[in-house]
Amino acid sequence: MSDIRLYNSDDDEVVSGLRSLYAAPSSDGYWNELEARIMSRVADVELGWWTELDRWVRPAIAAAAALLLATGAAMYHAHQVEQEIAAESMLTAPAVPVSTAIRSIPQDDREARTRFLFGR
Amino acid sequence: MTAAITIETYDSTYRMPSLTDARAEERALVVAAQRGETEAFAALVRQHQRRAYAVCRAIVLTHEDAEDAVQEGFLHAFKALDRFLPDQPFGAWLYRIMANASLDLVRRRKVRDADELPDTVPMPFRDPGESDELRRRLNMALTKLTDRQRSVIVLHDLEGFTHGEIGSMLGIPEGTARSDLHHARAALRRLLKDVRSDL
Repeated sequence: MSDIRLYNSDDDEVVSGLRSLYAAPSSDGYWNELEARIMSRVADVELGWWTELDRWVRPAIAAAAALLLATGAAMYHAHQVEQEIAAESMLTAPAVPVSTAIRSIPQDDREARTRFLFGR
Repeated sequence: MTAAITIETYDSTYRMPSLTDARAEERALVVAAQRGETEAFAALVRQHQRRAYAVCRAIVLTHEDAEDAVQEGFLHAFKALDRFLPDQPFGAWLYRIMANASLDLVRRRKVRDADELPDTVPMPFRDPGESDELRRRLNMALTKLTDRQRSVIVLHDLEGFTHGEIGSMLGIPEGTARSDLHHARAALRRLLKDVRSDL
């Protein structure tokens, strides 16, 4: 909004007076020197471990996400292989003959007789 | 910054392209500085240091304090650069930091002066070339304004900042900035009237 309503000719004098009181240095040399001082202080700034950490946050998050994806993929692959092996082992015939799979019970004649007598 | 806004508002068709270029260039510098390129930050310092000085000078009492505040302000800006969004106007952000650095310095000076020189009234403005009565009286009158009124009148009448921008820099509502300006002008007019009748 304009301040024309509040502004009168006396203000010109005030502004002119203020301008002379607040005049900034005009020499380019001064500004070059100030810039050099500022940049020298900037160069000395110890950013601190948290700032350094802050700089690494994004790459660290990306790396962690990639690691997580890779781990997930590896685990999934291992699970798949395990399932395939289990399915294959169920479908293929056992390598040992059936007769060897059944436990033989050795019996002599006397034992068989005893069983026959007391088993009734 | 204000000049840029004024041009954009009132003369947009004529100067908009160069203004856009300037903004794009500044944005590129900010992004480069955020990547850690100190030369880009130096270019931003070069671009803004005069206006930054003017903001600080309006708030603090002496040229030396303004220099200190400018350096502090740029250091704060450098440290906070990562948090700045490059699509925002860099100047507005920077001048708020400058104003805060200046206000901090004024507070520190007040505490120090209260501790060290309880009975003295500081002469706030350096004025090596003061030669006439009007300027001397104006200088005296400025010491009678509140710090905020003085800052507002300088930022508005000399530097061309809007009430809204001044409010944002000094952390006060726009209406307060407007009212401070009105009271400051009235006080200075009264003084000038007295001087004219005295002369």
